[in-house]
Amino acid sequence: MSTQTMLPESFTALEPFAVDWALTGSAARAARRGSSTAEERQAFYAAAAGELPRALDYLDGKGFDAFDAADERLMAMMLSLGHVALAVEQQKDAEPRHARDRAHMQITKTPAGA
Amino acid sequence: MWKNRAGEIAMNSPNPTFTPVGQDALDWLGTDPVPAKPYYDPEWFELEREAVFRRSWQQIGHVCELPENGSFIRRDLEVLGASLLITRGQDGEIRAFHNVCTHRGTILVDEDEGKRNTFSCPYHMWTFGLDGDLISAPDFESFHVSKAECALPAVACEVVGGLIFVHLGKPEGTLREWLGPYATKLEMMPVARATTFSEYVYEIDANWKLTYDNFQENYHLRFIHPSAAGPVTSPDNPFAYPTAYDFHGPHRSQRIWTKPDMDPPTGVQAIAFQRGAVQAMADGILGTETAKDYLGLFPNFFLFGSPMQHFSHTVYPIAAGKSRGVIRLYWIGEDETPSERFAREYFMATARDVHTEDRAVIERGHKGLASGALKHIHFQTQESLCRHLFNMVAEKVEAYRSEKEGAAA
Repeated sequence: MSTQTMLPESFTALEPFAVDWALTGSAARAARRGSSTAEERQAFYAAAAGELPRALDYLDGKGFDAFDAADERLMAMMLSLGHVALAVEQQKDAEPRHARDRAHMQITKTPAGA
Repeated sequence: MWKNRAGEIAMNSPNPTFTPVGQDALDWLGTDPVPAKPYYDPEWFELEREAVFRRSWQQIGHVCELPENGSFIRRDLEVLGASLLITRGQDGEIRAFHNVCTHRGTILVDEDEGKRNTFSCPYHMWTFGLDGDLISAPDFESFHVSKAECALPAVACEVVGGLIFVHLGKPEGTLREWLGPYATKLEMMPVARATTFSEYVYEIDANWKLTYDNFQENYHLRFIHPSAAGPVTSPDNPFAYPTAYDFHGPHRSQRIWTKPDMDPPTGVQAIAFQRGAVQAMADGILGTETAKDYLGLFPNFFLFGSPMQHFSHTVYPIAAGKSRGVIRLYWIGEDETPSERFAREYFMATARDVHTEDRAVIERGHKGLASGALKHIHFQTQESLCRHLFNMVAEKVEAYRSEKEGAAA
Protein backbone atom coordinates (compact mmCIF):
# COMPACT_ATOMS: atom_id res chain seq x y z
CA MET A 1 0.00 0.00 0.00
CA SER A 2 2.90 2.38 0.74
CA THR A 3 3.98 2.59 -2.90
CA GLN A 4 0.48 3.12 -4.27
CA THR A 5 -1.31 6.45 -4.06
CA MET A 6 -4.86 6.18 -2.80
CA LEU A 7 -5.85 9.85 -2.66
CA PRO A 8 -5.82 12.80 -5.11
CA GLU A 9 -2.27 14.09 -5.37
CA SER A 10 -2.77 17.34 -3.47
CA PHE A 11 -3.83 15.31 -0.41
CA THR A 12 -0.80 13.04 -0.06
CA ALA A 13 -0.36 14.14 3.55
CA LEU A 14 -3.53 12.16 4.37
CA GLU A 15 -2.31 8.94 2.69
CA PRO A 16 -1.39 7.21 5.98
CA PHE A 17 -5.07 7.40 7.05
CA ALA A 18 -6.73 6.26 3.84
CA VAL A 19 -6.75 2.52 4.55
CA ASP A 20 -8.37 2.96 7.95
CA TRP A 21 -10.84 5.72 7.22
CA ALA A 22 -11.79 5.73 3.51
CA LEU A 23 -14.73 3.43 4.17
CA THR A 24 -17.83 2.86 2.07
CA GLY A 25 -21.16 3.26 3.87
CA SER A 26 -22.33 5.49 6.74
CA ALA A 27 -22.77 2.50 9.07
CA ALA A 28 -19.20 1.29 8.43
CA ARG A 29 -17.83 4.76 9.11
CA ALA A 30 -19.81 5.03 12.34
CA ALA A 31 -18.68 1.55 13.37
CA ARG A 32 -15.03 2.45 12.70
CA ARG A 33 -15.36 5.43 15.00
CA GLY A 34 -16.83 3.09 17.60
CA SER A 35 -14.03 0.54 17.37
CA SER A 36 -11.14 3.04 17.15
CA THR A 37 -8.76 3.92 19.94
CA ALA A 38 -8.43 7.45 21.28
CA GLU A 39 -4.94 7.62 19.73
CA GLU A 40 -6.23 6.63 16.29
CA ARG A 41 -8.98 9.23 16.44
CA GLN A 42 -6.68 11.95 17.66
CA ALA A 43 -4.08 11.27 14.96
CA PHE A 44 -6.69 11.23 12.18
CA TYR A 45 -8.43 14.35 13.48
CA ALA A 46 -5.15 16.24 13.88
CA ALA A 47 -4.13 15.46 10.31
CA ALA A 48 -7.50 15.82 8.57
CA ALA A 49 -9.64 18.47 10.33
CA GLY A 50 -7.58 21.37 8.99
CA GLU A 51 -7.80 19.90 5.47
CA LEU A 52 -11.59 19.53 5.51
CA PRO A 53 -12.49 22.88 3.87
CA ARG A 54 -9.89 22.40 1.14
CA ALA A 55 -11.00 18.80 0.55
CA LEU A 56 -14.68 19.78 0.26
CA ASP A 57 -13.85 22.70 -2.05
CA TYR A 58 -11.78 20.38 -4.22
CA LEU A 59 -14.52 17.73 -4.35
CA ASP A 60 -17.27 20.32 -4.93
CA GLY A 61 -15.20 21.68 -7.82
CA LYS A 62 -15.08 18.25 -9.42
CA GLY A 63 -18.68 17.22 -8.78
CA PHE A 64 -19.82 13.61 -8.14
CA ASP A 65 -20.07 12.77 -11.84
CA ALA A 66 -16.36 13.44 -12.40
CA PHE A 67 -15.17 11.51 -9.30
CA ASP A 68 -12.45 8.92 -9.83
CA ALA A 69 -11.57 6.24 -7.27
CA ALA A 70 -9.15 8.56 -5.45
CA ASP A 71 -11.84 11.24 -5.14
CA GLU A 72 -14.30 8.66 -3.81
CA ARG A 73 -11.79 7.71 -1.14
CA LEU A 74 -11.15 11.32 -0.18
CA MET A 75 -14.92 11.87 0.12
CA ALA A 76 -15.35 8.76 2.27
CA MET A 77 -12.46 9.86 4.51
CA MET A 78 -14.01 13.27 5.06
CA LEU A 79 -17.32 11.63 5.94
CA SER A 80 -15.45 9.49 8.48
CA LEU A 81 -13.88 12.66 9.82
CA GLY A 82 -17.38 13.93 10.63
CA HIS A 83 -17.97 10.90 12.84
CA VAL A 84 -14.54 11.12 14.46
CA ALA A 85 -14.94 14.85 15.09
CA LEU A 86 -18.00 14.12 17.24
CA ALA A 87 -15.81 11.94 19.45
CA VAL A 88 -12.93 14.43 19.60
CA GLU A 89 -14.85 17.72 19.80
CA GLN A 90 -18.05 16.72 21.61
CA GLN A 91 -17.83 13.46 23.54
CA LYS A 92 -14.18 13.69 24.58
CA ASP A 93 -13.62 11.44 27.64
CA ALA A 94 -17.17 10.12 27.47
CA GLU A 95 -16.50 8.50 24.07
CA PRO A 96 -15.70 4.91 25.22
CA ARG A 97 -18.93 4.55 27.20
CA HIS A 98 -20.82 6.42 24.52
CA ALA A 99 -19.53 4.02 21.86
CA ARG A 100 -20.98 1.07 23.75
CA ASP A 101 -24.43 2.68 23.99
CA ARG A 102 -24.25 3.94 20.41
CA ALA A 103 -23.95 0.43 19.01
CA HIS A 104 -27.72 0.07 19.64
CA MET A 105 -28.49 2.80 17.09
CA GLN A 106 -28.41 1.08 13.70
CA ILE A 107 -27.96 3.27 10.65
CA THR A 108 -30.31 1.88 8.00
CA LYS A 109 -30.40 4.53 5.28
CA THR A 110 -28.49 7.64 4.20
CA PRO A 111 -28.34 9.58 0.91
CA ALA A 112 -24.60 8.74 0.78
CA GLY A 113 -25.43 5.04 1.10
CA ALA A 114 -25.89 3.42 4.52
CA MET B 1 -17.50 23.01 32.58
CA TRP B 2 -21.15 23.92 32.10
CA LYS B 3 -21.02 26.11 35.20
CA ASN B 4 -18.02 28.03 33.89
CA ARG B 5 -19.69 28.63 30.58
CA ALA B 6 -22.92 29.75 32.27
CA GLY B 7 -21.06 32.03 34.64
CA GLU B 8 -19.28 33.67 31.78
CA ILE B 9 -22.52 34.24 29.91
CA ALA B 10 -24.28 35.54 33.02
CA MET B 11 -21.88 38.48 33.15
CA ASN B 12 -22.60 39.27 29.52
CA SER B 13 -26.37 38.97 29.86
CA PRO B 14 -27.58 41.25 32.66
CA ASN B 15 -31.17 41.25 31.39
CA PRO B 16 -32.64 37.78 31.32
CA THR B 17 -35.16 37.44 28.52
CA PHE B 18 -36.64 34.01 29.07
CA THR B 19 -39.99 33.50 30.77
CA PRO B 20 -41.10 29.90 31.27
CA VAL B 21 -44.68 28.85 30.64
CA GLY B 22 -46.49 29.25 33.98
CA GLN B 23 -48.37 26.51 35.81
CA ASP B 24 -51.59 28.58 35.52
CA ALA B 25 -51.71 27.88 31.80
CA LEU B 26 -51.29 24.16 32.46
CA ASP B 27 -53.53 23.65 35.51
CA TRP B 28 -56.21 22.05 33.34
CA LEU B 29 -53.94 19.01 32.96
CA GLY B 30 -53.98 18.40 36.73
CA THR B 31 -51.13 18.19 39.19
CA ASP B 32 -51.66 14.82 40.89
CA PRO B 33 -49.03 12.11 40.91
CA VAL B 34 -49.47 9.76 37.95
CA PRO B 35 -49.95 6.01 38.47
CA ALA B 36 -46.81 4.05 37.58
CA LYS B 37 -48.43 0.81 36.49
CA PRO B 38 -49.59 1.93 33.01
CA TYR B 39 -45.92 2.41 32.17
CA TYR B 40 -45.06 -1.27 32.52
CA ASP B 41 -48.18 -3.37 33.10
CA PRO B 42 -48.83 -5.97 30.33
CA GLU B 43 -52.60 -5.91 31.04
CA TRP B 44 -52.73 -2.14 30.51
CA PHE B 45 -50.69 -2.56 27.34
CA GLU B 46 -53.25 -5.08 26.01
CA LEU B 47 -55.94 -2.41 26.44
CA GLU B 48 -53.79 0.21 24.73
CA ARG B 49 -53.51 -1.94 21.60
CA GLU B 50 -57.22 -1.47 20.90
CA ALA B 51 -58.03 1.73 22.80
CA VAL B 52 -55.09 3.76 21.47
CA PHE B 53 -53.55 2.15 18.42
CA ARG B 54 -56.64 0.67 16.75
CA ARG B 55 -58.37 4.04 17.16
CA SER B 56 -55.67 6.42 15.98
CA TRP B 57 -54.08 7.46 12.72
CA GLN B 58 -50.52 6.20 12.83
CA GLN B 59 -47.57 7.59 10.87
CA ILE B 60 -46.09 4.80 8.81
CA GLY B 61 -43.95 6.23 6.03
CA HIS B 62 -43.28 9.01 3.56
CA VAL B 63 -44.33 9.49 -0.05
CA CYS B 64 -40.67 9.61 -1.14
CA GLU B 65 -40.52 5.88 -0.37
CA LEU B 66 -43.03 5.36 -3.18
CA PRO B 67 -41.39 7.44 -5.91
CA GLU B 68 -43.00 5.78 -8.92
CA ASN B 69 -46.24 4.15 -9.91
CA GLY B 70 -45.75 0.51 -8.90
CA SER B 71 -43.52 1.31 -5.91
CA PHE B 72 -44.42 -0.53 -2.71
CA ILE B 73 -43.27 -0.78 0.91
CA ARG B 74 -44.07 -3.37 3.54
CA ARG B 75 -44.50 -2.28 7.15
CA ASP B 76 -45.15 -4.40 10.21
CA LEU B 77 -47.14 -2.85 13.06
CA GLU B 78 -46.44 -5.23 15.93
CA VAL B 79 -48.78 -3.44 18.32
CA LEU B 80 -51.73 -4.60 16.22
CA GLY B 81 -50.06 -7.76 14.93
CA ALA B 82 -50.42 -6.37 11.42
CA SER B 83 -48.30 -6.55 8.30
CA LEU B 84 -49.18 -3.80 5.82
CA LEU B 85 -48.55 -3.43 2.11
CA ILE B 86 -48.49 0.17 0.90
CA THR B 87 -48.51 0.77 -2.84
CA ARG B 88 -48.55 3.55 -5.40
CA GLY B 89 -50.96 2.48 -8.11
CA GLN B 90 -50.79 3.08 -11.84
CA ASP B 91 -53.12 6.02 -11.15
CA GLY B 92 -50.51 7.50 -8.78
CA GLU B 93 -52.72 6.87 -5.71
CA ILE B 94 -51.17 5.64 -2.48
CA ARG B 95 -53.14 2.79 -0.89
CA ALA B 96 -52.62 0.50 2.09
CA PHE B 97 -53.73 -3.10 2.50
CA HIS B 98 -53.29 -5.90 4.94
CA ASN B 99 -50.33 -7.81 3.50
CA VAL B 100 -52.34 -11.02 3.67
CA CYS B 101 -53.43 -13.27 0.82
CA THR B 102 -57.21 -13.58 0.88
CA HIS B 103 -57.08 -17.27 0.02
CA ARG B 104 -55.85 -18.70 3.32
CA GLY B 105 -54.08 -15.85 5.02
CA THR B 106 -50.46 -16.25 3.96
CA ILE B 107 -48.26 -13.15 4.23
CA LEU B 108 -48.20 -11.96 0.64
CA VAL B 109 -45.04 -9.85 0.29
CA ASP B 110 -41.74 -10.57 1.99
CA GLU B 111 -39.55 -7.74 0.71
CA ASP B 112 -39.28 -4.43 2.57
CA GLU B 113 -39.73 -2.39 -0.60
CA GLY B 114 -39.62 -2.61 -4.37
CA LYS B 115 -41.44 -1.90 -7.61
CA ARG B 116 -43.97 -4.22 -9.24
CA ASN B 117 -47.30 -4.33 -10.97
CA THR B 118 -48.55 -7.50 -9.30
CA PHE B 119 -48.04 -9.43 -6.08
CA SER B 120 -48.24 -13.22 -6.16
CA CYS B 121 -48.70 -15.33 -3.08
CA PRO B 122 -46.01 -18.04 -3.09
CA TYR B 123 -48.43 -20.63 -1.66
CA HIS B 124 -51.01 -21.06 -4.48
CA MET B 125 -50.09 -18.17 -6.77
CA TRP B 126 -53.06 -15.93 -6.12
CA THR B 127 -52.05 -12.68 -7.83
CA PHE B 128 -53.13 -9.20 -6.80
CA GLY B 129 -52.80 -5.78 -8.45
CA LEU B 130 -51.47 -2.52 -6.98
CA ASP B 131 -55.08 -1.56 -6.25
CA GLY B 132 -55.54 -4.73 -4.18
CA ASP B 133 -57.83 -6.48 -6.66
CA LEU B 134 -57.43 -10.21 -7.19
CA ILE B 135 -56.26 -10.48 -10.80
CA SER B 136 -55.89 -14.22 -11.13
CA ALA B 137 -55.86 -17.44 -9.15
CA PRO B 138 -55.16 -20.93 -10.53
CA ASP B 139 -58.26 -23.12 -10.94
CA PHE B 140 -60.39 -20.31 -9.54
CA GLU B 141 -63.54 -21.90 -11.02
CA SER B 142 -63.33 -24.54 -8.28
CA PHE B 143 -63.80 -21.90 -5.57
CA HIS B 144 -67.19 -20.78 -4.38
CA VAL B 145 -66.53 -17.05 -4.30
CA SER B 146 -66.13 -14.16 -6.75
CA LYS B 147 -62.84 -12.41 -7.45
CA ALA B 148 -64.38 -9.13 -6.33
CA GLU B 149 -64.88 -10.63 -2.87
CA CYS B 150 -61.21 -11.62 -2.72
CA ALA B 151 -59.53 -8.20 -2.97
CA LEU B 152 -56.84 -7.49 -0.36
CA PRO B 153 -58.40 -6.02 2.81
CA ALA B 154 -57.95 -2.25 2.49
CA VAL B 155 -56.64 -0.13 5.35
CA ALA B 156 -57.54 3.55 5.63
CA CYS B 157 -54.53 5.49 4.34
CA GLU B 158 -54.10 9.25 3.91
CA VAL B 159 -51.21 11.64 3.31
CA VAL B 160 -50.55 15.06 4.84
CA GLY B 161 -47.28 16.95 4.39
CA GLY B 162 -45.76 14.01 2.54
CA LEU B 163 -46.27 11.78 5.57
CA ILE B 164 -48.29 8.59 5.13
CA PHE B 165 -50.69 7.67 7.92
CA VAL B 166 -52.82 4.54 8.30
CA HIS B 167 -55.82 3.78 10.51
CA LEU B 168 -56.47 0.14 11.33
CA GLY B 169 -59.85 0.70 12.92
CA LYS B 170 -62.83 2.74 11.80
CA PRO B 171 -61.69 6.34 11.51
CA GLU B 172 -64.15 8.87 12.89
CA GLY B 173 -62.99 11.45 10.37
CA THR B 174 -60.29 12.27 7.90
CA LEU B 175 -56.61 12.44 8.79
CA ARG B 176 -56.81 16.21 8.30
CA GLU B 177 -59.60 16.45 10.87
CA TRP B 178 -57.58 14.28 13.24
CA LEU B 179 -54.54 16.57 12.92
CA GLY B 180 -56.48 19.85 13.08
CA PRO B 181 -54.18 22.89 12.87
CA TYR B 182 -51.11 20.64 12.90
CA ALA B 183 -51.95 19.51 9.37
CA THR B 184 -51.09 22.99 8.11
CA LYS B 185 -47.86 23.00 10.11
CA LEU B 186 -46.81 19.68 8.57
CA GLU B 187 -47.44 21.09 5.13
CA MET B 188 -45.23 24.11 5.87
CA MET B 189 -42.32 22.00 7.06
CA PRO B 190 -39.49 20.65 4.84
CA VAL B 191 -40.89 17.12 5.26
CA ALA B 192 -43.66 18.06 2.83
CA ARG B 193 -41.04 18.56 0.11
CA ALA B 194 -38.61 15.84 1.19
CA THR B 195 -37.35 13.41 -1.41
CA THR B 196 -35.00 11.31 0.70
CA PHE B 197 -33.91 10.77 4.31
CA SER B 198 -31.28 9.38 6.63
CA GLU B 199 -32.58 6.80 9.08
CA TYR B 200 -31.40 5.01 12.18
CA VAL B 201 -33.32 2.55 14.30
CA TYR B 202 -33.06 1.36 17.87
CA GLU B 203 -34.69 -1.37 19.88
CA ILE B 204 -35.26 -0.67 23.54
CA ASP B 205 -36.40 -2.63 26.56
CA ALA B 206 -38.84 0.04 27.65
CA ASN B 207 -42.51 0.96 27.43
CA TRP B 208 -43.45 3.17 24.48
CA LYS B 209 -44.84 5.97 26.70
CA LEU B 210 -41.75 6.10 28.88
CA THR B 211 -39.63 6.16 25.73
CA TYR B 212 -41.76 8.82 24.07
CA ASP B 213 -41.87 10.98 27.23
CA ASN B 214 -38.12 11.34 27.25
CA PHE B 215 -38.38 13.28 24.01
CA GLN B 216 -41.06 15.67 25.19
CA GLU B 217 -39.38 17.22 28.22
CA ASN B 218 -36.19 19.28 28.36
CA TYR B 219 -35.65 18.90 32.11
CA HIS B 220 -33.11 16.10 31.47
CA LEU B 221 -31.08 17.81 28.75
CA ARG B 222 -28.27 19.28 30.80
CA PHE B 223 -27.76 16.07 32.74
CA ILE B 224 -28.04 13.45 30.01
CA HIS B 225 -26.63 15.51 27.14
CA PRO B 226 -23.88 17.56 28.80
CA SER B 227 -22.02 18.08 25.55
CA ALA B 228 -25.02 18.99 23.37
CA ALA B 229 -27.02 20.90 26.00
CA GLY B 230 -24.20 23.04 27.43
CA PRO B 231 -24.22 25.56 24.60
CA VAL B 232 -28.03 25.88 24.49
CA THR B 233 -28.69 26.61 28.18
CA SER B 234 -28.17 29.89 29.97
CA PRO B 235 -28.57 31.34 33.48
CA ASP B 236 -32.08 32.62 32.76
CA ASN B 237 -33.09 29.28 31.21
CA PRO B 238 -30.76 26.71 32.77
CA PHE B 239 -32.87 23.75 31.58
CA ALA B 240 -33.50 25.10 28.06
CA TYR B 241 -37.25 24.92 28.62
CA PRO B 242 -39.44 25.78 25.63
CA THR B 243 -41.01 29.19 25.15
CA ALA B 244 -44.53 27.82 24.60
CA TYR B 245 -46.69 24.72 24.72
CA ASP B 246 -49.69 24.06 22.56
CA PHE B 247 -52.35 21.36 22.63
CA HIS B 248 -54.91 20.21 20.10
CA GLY B 249 -57.05 17.23 21.02
CA PRO B 250 -54.66 14.35 21.76
CA HIS B 251 -51.73 16.13 20.04
CA ARG B 252 -49.29 18.59 21.54
CA SER B 253 -46.32 20.73 20.62
CA GLN B 254 -43.63 22.94 22.05
CA ARG B 255 -41.75 25.89 20.68
CA ILE B 256 -38.03 25.43 21.15
CA TRP B 257 -36.14 28.23 22.89
CA THR B 258 -32.93 29.40 21.26
CA LYS B 259 -30.24 31.02 23.33
CA PRO B 260 -29.80 34.52 21.85
CA ASP B 261 -26.08 34.78 22.60
CA MET B 262 -25.05 31.22 21.78
CA ASP B 263 -21.33 30.78 21.17
CA PRO B 264 -20.62 30.02 17.52
CA PRO B 265 -19.54 26.43 16.81
CA THR B 266 -15.88 25.68 16.20
CA GLY B 267 -13.79 23.06 14.40
CA VAL B 268 -15.39 20.45 12.18
CA GLN B 269 -18.82 21.27 13.64
CA ALA B 270 -18.52 24.84 12.37
CA ILE B 271 -17.63 23.63 8.88
CA ALA B 272 -20.60 21.24 8.86
CA PHE B 273 -22.95 24.08 9.87
CA GLN B 274 -21.54 26.44 7.24
CA ARG B 275 -21.78 23.88 4.45
CA GLY B 276 -25.22 22.70 5.57
CA ALA B 277 -26.55 26.25 5.82
CA VAL B 278 -25.64 26.96 2.20
CA GLN B 279 -27.87 24.10 1.10
CA ALA B 280 -30.68 24.87 3.54
CA MET B 281 -30.66 28.42 2.20
CA ALA B 282 -30.82 27.15 -1.39
CA ASP B 283 -33.75 24.92 -0.41
CA GLY B 284 -35.49 27.93 1.15
CA ILE B 285 -35.97 26.25 4.53
CA LEU B 286 -33.93 28.62 6.73
CA GLY B 287 -35.87 30.94 9.01
CA THR B 288 -39.31 29.50 8.27
CA GLU B 289 -42.20 30.04 10.67
CA THR B 290 -42.20 26.39 11.78
CA ALA B 291 -38.41 26.15 12.34
CA LYS B 292 -38.84 26.01 16.13
CA ASP B 293 -41.96 23.86 16.27
CA TYR B 294 -41.61 20.42 17.77
CA LEU B 295 -44.81 18.50 17.14
CA GLY B 296 -45.97 15.47 19.09
CA LEU B 297 -48.74 13.75 17.15
CA PHE B 298 -50.74 11.23 19.13
CA PRO B 299 -49.98 8.52 19.78
CA ASN B 300 -46.30 7.98 18.93
CA PHE B 301 -44.88 10.44 16.39
CA PHE B 302 -42.61 13.49 16.68
CA LEU B 303 -41.49 15.96 14.06
CA PHE B 304 -39.01 18.77 14.68
CA GLY B 305 -39.19 21.71 12.27
CA SER B 306 -35.49 22.58 12.44
CA PRO B 307 -34.22 23.16 8.88
CA MET B 308 -30.74 21.75 9.53
CA GLN B 309 -31.80 18.70 11.52
CA HIS B 310 -35.35 18.17 10.40
CA PHE B 311 -36.08 14.87 12.05
CA SER B 312 -39.05 12.65 12.79
CA HIS B 313 -39.09 10.06 15.53
CA THR B 314 -41.67 7.30 15.80
CA VAL B 315 -41.80 5.04 18.85
CA TYR B 316 -43.39 1.75 17.84
CA PRO B 317 -44.68 -0.34 20.75
CA ILE B 318 -43.83 -4.04 20.56
CA ALA B 319 -44.76 -5.23 24.06
CA ALA B 320 -45.40 -3.59 27.44
CA GLY B 321 -41.64 -3.44 27.99
CA LYS B 322 -40.30 -3.34 24.46
CA SER B 323 -40.33 -0.68 21.75
CA ARG B 324 -38.60 0.32 18.56
CA GLY B 325 -37.59 3.87 17.71
CA VAL B 326 -37.22 4.99 14.11
CA ILE B 327 -35.53 8.34 13.55
CA ARG B 328 -35.41 9.99 10.16
CA LEU B 329 -33.74 13.18 9.03
CA TYR B 330 -35.66 14.33 5.99
CA TRP B 331 -33.83 16.02 3.11
CA ILE B 332 -34.91 17.87 -0.01
CA GLY B 333 -33.13 16.48 -3.08
CA GLU B 334 -30.31 13.96 -3.31
CA ASP B 335 -26.81 15.05 -2.22
CA GLU B 336 -26.10 17.69 -4.83
CA THR B 337 -22.56 18.49 -3.76
CA PRO B 338 -19.85 16.76 -1.69
CA SER B 339 -20.28 19.56 0.88
CA GLU B 340 -23.95 18.75 1.21
CA ARG B 341 -23.14 15.06 1.58
CA PHE B 342 -20.68 15.89 4.33
CA ALA B 343 -23.16 18.12 6.21
CA ARG B 344 -25.94 15.53 6.03
CA GLU B 345 -23.76 12.71 7.31
CA TYR B 346 -22.50 14.94 10.11
CA PHE B 347 -25.99 16.05 11.17
CA MET B 348 -27.24 12.47 11.14
CA ALA B 349 -24.31 11.37 13.30
CA THR B 350 -24.90 14.29 15.69
CA ALA B 351 -28.57 13.43 16.20
CA ARG B 352 -27.61 9.77 16.65
CA ASP B 353 -25.14 10.70 19.38
CA VAL B 354 -27.81 12.57 21.30
CA HIS B 355 -30.43 9.83 20.91
CA THR B 356 -27.87 7.29 22.09
CA GLU B 357 -27.70 9.07 25.42
CA ASP B 358 -31.48 9.08 25.68
CA ARG B 359 -31.87 5.40 24.90
CA ALA B 360 -29.49 4.34 27.64
CA VAL B 361 -31.27 6.27 30.40
CA ILE B 362 -34.78 5.30 29.25
CA GLU B 363 -33.94 1.59 29.58
CA ARG B 364 -32.70 2.30 33.06
CA GLY B 365 -35.99 4.04 33.82
CA HIS B 366 -38.07 1.14 32.61
CA LYS B 367 -36.10 -1.36 34.66
CA GLY B 368 -36.79 0.65 37.80
CA LEU B 369 -40.48 1.13 37.08
CA ALA B 370 -41.05 -2.50 36.08
CA SER B 371 -39.73 -3.61 39.47
CA GLY B 372 -43.07 -2.41 40.86
CA ALA B 373 -41.31 -0.41 43.57
CA LEU B 374 -43.31 2.74 42.81
CA LYS B 375 -47.05 3.35 42.94
CA HIS B 376 -46.74 6.78 41.35
CA ILE B 377 -44.42 8.93 39.29
CA HIS B 378 -44.27 12.72 39.21
CA PHE B 379 -44.39 15.32 36.47
CA GLN B 380 -43.45 18.95 37.09
CA THR B 381 -44.89 21.95 35.23
CA GLN B 382 -42.29 21.68 32.48
CA GLU B 383 -43.10 18.00 31.99
CA SER B 384 -46.69 18.84 31.10
CA LEU B 385 -46.45 17.27 27.67
CA CYS B 386 -45.74 13.93 29.38
CA ARG B 387 -48.74 14.46 31.62
CA HIS B 388 -50.89 15.27 28.61
CA LEU B 389 -49.88 12.01 26.90
CA PHE B 390 -50.77 10.06 30.02
CA ASN B 391 -54.12 11.85 30.33
CA MET B 392 -54.98 11.14 26.69
CA VAL B 393 -54.01 7.48 26.91
CA ALA B 394 -55.82 6.99 30.23
CA GLU B 395 -58.96 8.65 28.86
CA LYS B 396 -58.99 6.33 25.85
CA VAL B 397 -58.20 3.22 27.85
CA GLU B 398 -60.94 4.01 30.39
CA ALA B 399 -63.48 4.67 27.63
CA TYR B 400 -62.58 1.40 25.94
CA ARG B 401 -62.77 -0.49 29.23
CA SER B 402 -66.26 0.93 29.92
CA GLU B 403 -67.41 -0.06 26.44
CA LYS B 404 -66.13 -3.57 26.94
CA GLU B 405 -67.77 -3.86 30.35
CA GLY B 406 -70.99 -2.37 28.95
CA ALA B 407 -70.99 -4.90 26.14
CA ALA B 408 -70.32 -7.76 28.52
CA ALA B 409 -73.10 -6.73 30.95
